[in-house]
Amino acid sequence: MKQSQSSEKKRERERERERMGREVSESCVDSLLTEMVSMYCNRLYANKPELAASRIDAIGYQVGHQLSERYTMERPRFTDHLDAIKFICKDFWSELFKKQIDNLKTNHRGTFVLQDNRFRWLSRMSLDPSAENGDVSQENSEASAENKAAQVPNMHLHFSCGVIKGALHNLGIACAVSADTSHLPACSFVVRIKP
Amino acid sequence: MIVCVAVVGHQNNPLYIQSFTDADDALKLHHIVHCSLDVVDERVNNPKKSGPTLNETFLGLLYPTENYKVYGYLTNTKVKFILVTTDLDVKDADVRNFFRRFHAGYVDAISNPFHEPGKKITSKTFAEKVSTIVKSFGFSSTG
Repeated sequence: MKQSQSSEKKRERERERERMGREVSESCVDSLLTEMVSMYCNRLYANKPELAASRIDAIGYQVGHQLSERYTMERPRFTDHLDAIKFICKDFWSELFKKQIDNLKTNHRGTFVLQDNRFRWLSRMSLDPSAENGDVSQENSEASAENKAAQVPNMHLHFSCGVIKGALHNLGIACAVSADTSHLPACSFVVRIKP
Repeated sequence: MIVCVAVVGHQNNPLYIQSFTDADDALKLHHIVHCSLDVVDERVNNPKKSGPTLNETFLGLLYPTENYKVYGYLTNTKVKFILVTTDLDVKDADVRNFFRRFHAGYVDAISNPFHEPGKKITSKTFAEKVSTIVKSFGFSSTG
């Protein structure tokens, strides 16, 4: 009798633990992401931006791969690609960013555009200050500064692209993901499913 | 009593297989698990038979043999969990509960950054967790 009671208590505690989620501070994730990008871009692969990009992408891939397993735990299996994409837009995004994707477009031939009007991982990012300082040779410097400003968030976005790609791969969908940030802090991800 | 549990990857590669008997019948249990994979494929590819339970992760009783009952579970990521038990009057709710906890343990194990996807699960913590779940199986309704 006593034993069954104590084991009941133990089970209750275990259930409690299963219900409780472990949470990570948002600013920690922001700093980690920034630090990771600068580490790969400026130190490890300073002269090879493509290589840095693919490394960052690979880290994101692993994160997405593991998270998708966790977040699909208590739901029925997906019937088609659209189902899985909808899962990414709604539940997966809610878990990661506490909001859903704002707009989803598709051409019904394997290309999906996921638009987030206020992407959390970019919302605290400021553009390169040199873009505002101006220079004597205005045209040239402005163009290069703009270029540079566009490059920095793109490096950060390789991680998010990797996360989406890893999640979809784990759900059995091979795809390529790219991102577009022409209107910060809005951000759109283009998912092309490989036939 | 649960005699064997197994985790099988999406390409039918074994990720984890553990038997819980003293007798030397591991090979037989592995064989049973191996046979059940075909039943899983059949269930998933012929949705007519399974009817309204289509796409649920819990696949129910896969097939009964003389001494064992074999249950299956298929995650969204096409990973299969197989359970072999000697209890002949098992409640479905118990098995569901078992798989739910087993899945939680599995997710924790593969979330380890040092775990390589598609490789066998060698985590000791996972093995301990599995044996705890296996030991407590069937108690929720009677104990």
